[in-house]
Amino acid sequence: MLKRKTAVVDLTEGTVKDITVSDELRRAYYGGRGLNMHYLLNMLTPGADPLGPKNVLIFGTGFLTGILAPNSGRFNISAKSPESQVVGDSNCGGFFAPELKYAGYERVIITGKAPEPSYIYIEDGTVEIRSADGYWGLDTQEVQKAFKRDLGMVESAVCGVAGEKLVRYACVRNGVKNAAGRSGMGAVMGSKNLKAMVARGTGGIEIADPEGLLRYTEELKDYIMSSKITPIIGSVGTPLLYEVSNAFGAIRTKNSQLNQWSSNLDAAEIDKHVEKMIACADCIVHCRHRNMQGGEGPEYTALGLVGANIGLDNADEVIRMNNLCNDLGLDISSSGTYMAWATELYEKGLITKEDTGGMELEFGNFEQYSELLRMINDREGFGDVLAEGRHAAATLNDPEGDYLITVKGLPQSDPHDVRYMKAFALGIATSSRGADHLRSRPTLEIFFKLPAEVKEKIYGAKVNSDPTSFDSKEIPVHFSDNIFATIDCMGLCKFICHGFNSPHYLSYPHFVGLINRATGWEVTEEELQTVGPRVIDTERIINIREGLVKSWDTLPKKYFDDPMPLGQAKGHHIDREEFAAALDRYYELRGWKPDGMVQEERIEELEGIA
Amino acid sequence: MKYIYVYPELCTGCRVCALACSLKKNGVCNPKHSAIYVARDEFERWEYPIVCLQCEDPVCVEVCPQNAYTIEDGIVIHDEERCIGCRLCATLCPNAAINTMGTKILKCDLCGGDPECVKFCTTEAIKYLEETAELEQRRHALVNRLRSA
Repeated sequence: MLKRKTAVVDLTEGTVKDITVSDELRRAYYGGRGLNMHYLLNMLTPGADPLGPKNVLIFGTGFLTGILAPNSGRFNISAKSPESQVVGDSNCGGFFAPELKYAGYERVIITGKAPEPSYIYIEDGTVEIRSADGYWGLDTQEVQKAFKRDLGMVESAVCGVAGEKLVRYACVRNGVKNAAGRSGMGAVMGSKNLKAMVARGTGGIEIADPEGLLRYTEELKDYIMSSKITPIIGSVGTPLLYEVSNAFGAIRTKNSQLNQWSSNLDAAEIDKHVEKMIACADCIVHCRHRNMQGGEGPEYTALGLVGANIGLDNADEVIRMNNLCNDLGLDISSSGTYMAWATELYEKGLITKEDTGGMELEFGNFEQYSELLRMINDREGFGDVLAEGRHAAATLNDPEGDYLITVKGLPQSDPHDVRYMKAFALGIATSSRGADHLRSRPTLEIFFKLPAEVKEKIYGAKVNSDPTSFDSKEIPVHFSDNIFATIDCMGLCKFICHGFNSPHYLSYPHFVGLINRATGWEVTEEELQTVGPRVIDTERIINIREGLVKSWDTLPKKYFDDPMPLGQAKGHHIDREEFAAALDRYYELRGWKPDGMVQEERIEELEGIA
Repeated sequence: MKYIYVYPELCTGCRVCALACSLKKNGVCNPKHSAIYVARDEFERWEYPIVCLQCEDPVCVEVCPQNAYTIEDGIVIHDEERCIGCRLCATLCPNAAINTMGTKILKCDLCGGDPECVKFCTTEAIKYLEETAELEQRRHALVNRLRSA
């Protein structure tokens, strides 16, 4: 039940081969991020050039994707990252993933490099490699419209020109705004001469207990809709979080030189630019804005990274920056981080007009940053330097990356300055793909007034209620890490799952309820709880093969050395000894060795799953 | 009499209504296997749920060579036994409300008075309401507009 095919496409040879996936493997990893990681572990040659033909690029739908399950339209794209030092992986909503399943495939694994620009077309059980003649060179909206014009009601996941030109933080776009944004998966597509994945399917996904799933999903829908958080997310979306973080001084501002910014970017201001709230496939929350500037968004991430972080305080300008990143196919988090980084380096005199091709970088200059984004996209002038991201550190006279807000080579995803909330800091330091809140951020820490007993019930152990203390914070990070990985395997959206935005929402018993009704399996909660740790250990093994050592689990230099200057958070920074101790406790909880390595028996066990 | 009324301005395009319908009526999940369809174009910026409006003098009843359609208590009912899958009804319905999958006709019958799709819509873009003069005027205006299009 629920099973669709898995294809291996060799773009060099031009061949397509279906492979079998055992039920043992499916019950070990389910789908999405988990199964993608299994295949990377088995197929990726350690040390392979991420922009070379040996990199393995995987489009994998979630286990529950495409069925009647709340907010289940998601998939993961995984490969070795050309941007960071480690595994690349990005989760995405929209409408592509269910369509891929209806077209008969749950996962497409891509190796090699096509001799000419190509796209992969999947329809009702067949996979074809086709010429991208007429599509190459188009931006992310233009190319998707062209596919609909030429092929009918298809759904596609595409890279823009930034991906074709190997901008290291080019993303993959599905729809106007939905992005597999992080870790440069668009550049990996470009390196393989692959413009798009295009799917169309008429196949129905069979369900073991249709009436049971209908009634259970209706029950879950009522449960989700009864939360106080749901209507707020559905009416203002993630910009809600801007105000929450800004209130106590935790918004990354001007490359983390400041930590508080204008209330002009509060959700109420953004709301004035919204035409309608819309949804991804199968989503009952509808958190996505259709903005009056002609695009979709912004998320909280955009408000921070192409707003506060580059010194913009005008909502209209920030939304236009957001729309431009979306159309070009550039990751907003990375783009905003690198532009702010370069601006600070310019302000400090570490680079000059000679380095920037005459551009006088200054925070708050909308026209200049819009132009810079276009130059990055086209790899023109100084844009060609910044297109390399952190790889340009030496060229930009910051060889150690002292001014970079990155972990494991990946710019921090969200706008939250983690020097105040220590659990957030530990989360981004240990996240498998680098600095990222969607891997393990224990968001509940932000609810200062959450009673201690509620937290204890959620995390299964006592957690120090002071958000500025590292004491016991390995517990919520470990908990979040595990459940987020499970959610990514299911293909569900974190917005309706436990621990991300609310202490309620869906958790392991609900996932089990959906799996068993859909498949007829008899999965237990205990069994499902082993999936998250398995995925995280698999990612850790891949990263270790790529050279990861304990010192990579760290934070940007500024977070240790520079106390926050403003607001309630003033004076807070990360203490190196406290951080090191928390890291050791996290390793212990995860069952890793004191040096952060995975136990040999565990490696053998995970390599043995087939 | 209760009918489904459609409010496109409230539709988010999620298609959960169609998934529920496909699962209820066909035991599988795919919004294309459904009697309600959400037409949408995110690039052109619109969403529109399409479902049978239960016209009083329906084109499907008129054109079906097999007389597979009848009106029972104000609901246009499709008889699968009589149908030969010619799809003339689907081709000629002015509302494009009759969906097909191969030769199978997918046509809303209001689930016998308990429409599954409506239960899953969280924005009230589709509602199942007792007819009122105002609502009926709205439904008829839509039917007439589509017929004259």
